[in-house]
Amino acid sequence: MNGILEALAVSKRFGETLALDGVSLQVNAGEVFCLLGANGAGKTTLVNIFLNFIAPTSGEARVDGRDVTRHALAAKRDMAYIPEQVMLYGVLSGLENLRYFAALATDEDLPERRALDLLRQVGLDETAARRRISEYSKGMRQKVGIAIASAKNAKAFLLDEPTSGLDPKAANEFSQLLRTARDKGVAVLTTTHDLFHAKQTGSRIGIMRRGRLVENLLAADISHLDLESLYLKHMSNQDE
Amino acid sequence: MPPLSTLDKLQRTLQGPGTGYLFTRVFLNEGRILLADRTLWLACGLLFLFLGYSLYVGLSQVRAREAVLQGITLRDAEKADKSITQLRRILAGHETPDPFSNPADPASVASGLGARHAVLPYLALAPLALGQSDMAPNYYRVTNRNKSTFLYDGEMDNPWNLMTGHFDTAFVVIYLLPLLILGVSYNMLSAERERGTLRLLLSHSLGIGTLLLAKTAVRALAVLTTTGATVAAVLLPERGGSLEYLFWLGMIAAYAVFWFAVAAAVNALGKASATNAFALIVVWVTLVILAPVLLNLAVSQAYPAPSRTELATRSRLITIGGLNRFADLLATDYRHVGKPQVLLPKDGKIEVAERRKAHLLIARQVDAELDTLLAAFEKQLLAQQQFIERFSLISPAAVIHEGMSALAGTGSRRYTQFTQQVSTYHMDWKAFFEVRILNGIAMTEPDFARLPKFSWLEQPATALRGQLAGYALQLLVPSLLLGLWARRRLRRYPMV
Ligand SMILES: Nc1ncnc2c1ncn2[C@@H]1O[C@H](COP(=O)(O)OP(=O)(O)OP(=O)(O)O)[C@@H](O)[C@H]1O
Ligand SMILES: [Mg+2]
Repeated sequence: MNGILEALAVSKRFGETLALDGVSLQVNAGEVFCLLGANGAGKTTLVNIFLNFIAPTSGEARVDGRDVTRHALAAKRDMAYIPEQVMLYGVLSGLENLRYFAALATDEDLPERRALDLLRQVGLDETAARRRISEYSKGMRQKVGIAIASAKNAKAFLLDEPTSGLDPKAANEFSQLLRTARDKGVAVLTTTHDLFHAKQTGSRIGIMRRGRLVENLLAADISHLDLESLYLKHMSNQDE
Repeated sequence: MPPLSTLDKLQRTLQGPGTGYLFTRVFLNEGRILLADRTLWLACGLLFLFLGYSLYVGLSQVRAREAVLQGITLRDAEKADKSITQLRRILAGHETPDPFSNPADPASVASGLGARHAVLPYLALAPLALGQSDMAPNYYRVTNRNKSTFLYDGEMDNPWNLMTGHFDTAFVVIYLLPLLILGVSYNMLSAERERGTLRLLLSHSLGIGTLLLAKTAVRALAVLTTTGATVAAVLLPERGGSLEYLFWLGMIAAYAVFWFAVAAAVNALGKASATNAFALIVVWVTLVILAPVLLNLAVSQAYPAPSRTELATRSRLITIGGLNRFADLLATDYRHVGKPQVLLPKDGKIEVAERRKAHLLIARQVDAELDTLLAAFEKQLLAQQQFIERFSLISPAAVIHEGMSALAGTGSRRYTQFTQQVSTYHMDWKAFFEVRILNGIAMTEPDFARLPKFSWLEQPATALRGQLAGYALQLLVPSLLLGLWARRRLRRYPMV
């Protein structure tokens, strides 16, 4: 198995704070890696390192075998990213935003028809698609972000609490989307606070605590109940 | 194998994965956003209004001044015709000459009757930069009186002052254009980061440099199109000068590029929008307001403006000396009072009043003695000019000011050349009359046709272009350096 996303002993220090402490993980093609952890555990920092938004203090992050700091642009062609808060251009419509970001993502114009299809798949009809983003709710913006990610034919998805703000129906549809991507061989790294969701969609589950990856399990190997107690155990030790 | 990998890298940077495509997408999208949020409408609308009004001011000023010049030339021609007619009538015995404006008397003709104005024409682009034209006159009335009486009687300050007091196009370009540029570009990256779109943008294979460049380009295009089109539409139909206009537009483009480079560099620092705005205002005040003032201080310190009072005093002293020396000539009476026939030419000769001969001799002496002083005076002005040309580099506002006034023909260089040519003309004029006055040779009709004429000799276009190329470099080299620095700095752009 070759890892699409690989972290090799990645550490990141912000002044006094050691945000990441020698994190190693690997997400293979067709795998969904769910990263759990309390607030401030270092999940977003790891995502930022994969996106080359910040450089690791030590260690290396690779996408499809390429070091992201040295081949940042090439690595980014292979990654689709959905932030916790999808922020878009307020004066443009959802459709225009999607078409713009999709063009940046794929180096190709996205035909309007196809764009509307993608928006419909995430639950935005044409009327909504043609409204300005400034009139969107947080969840609606999140849906556009998901549409942008699905327009990009990426080898890997980097998702930082992608379902935050989605209603249960939309969250469910999103899980379905993830499974489709996984079945197509996409490597997915997603952070979440939702154990249920993690157990349901994840093929691997990691738990982070104070910058360290303290658990790295196959989802199939653990029951929901065990996962919950394990998670709570690490959470309760948070302040030690 | 470092050379190979460097080459590899270079190739990747140049061709990039679809850099051209991404640039175009950002460019178009940015244009759409700026139109949708009305930023561009507002900035370009203001620019249009400012430029429109400044063109109105410039055109009406130049129109009025050209009308004055035209009137002067016309009156000169009328006066010459009248003198000839009068001469004919006098020779035919139809008219008794007036002793002080006798067309047969070379002294009368030399000192005013035949005097013509030396005129410096306005160029096609003069309305764009009124420049020195307020302080330095475009015409002189040249007689056989000494130089200091006409050539240096105006008040002339430092040769260099950005503020002409007019709301002309030069003012709009120097002061307001940079403000509008900074207004639309102070937050090119910071707004993306603050809005949260930067993360999504840069999660794709879009380089932050490409992003910044495309965002800058769309603004530059809008600003320059507005400027170019407004000026072309108002100026060219009335005044022509398309080639000069293109050079002018090139200069403006270089100036705009400089300010965009400043904005890009400040954005590359990765600070908040408010911080950027403040930093850019500081830069604007420093380069547009403070640096020119300092430059002016430096020039007046290094080459103090020559004293006009001293010049006037010296010329008065020399004149008094002359008056004393030629007291006997000056004491003679005008003979025409008792003998009006002396006013008529006889065998090609005429009696020139001794007093008037004395005045000529005095003027000659004043000119000769003042020449050293005037030479020093002119040397000083030239030194000031060269100093400015050398050190204008410290302020792009000074550079563009020099470039625009050179193109408009209202710069100090052209005025210096004008006074030099007038000075030569004055010498020719004096030489023409000196023999006639001192030897009492009467003026004839052919003499009137032979009077020295002033015709302005424009400096060759190549010289002007060389000057302009120098100014363009003074704007583009700093822009390039800023751009390169910004590119380096962007590598460390703080995303979180
Ligand atoms: N730019 C920064 N400067 C300084 N410290 C930072 C910075 N970014 C993150 N940190 C610190 O690094 C640690 C990890 O933060 P991170 O955002 O990765 O946590 P997280 O797991 O994503 O938390 P959450 O669940 O709240 O999103 C925290 O202690 C945080 O304070
Ligand atoms: Mg986070």
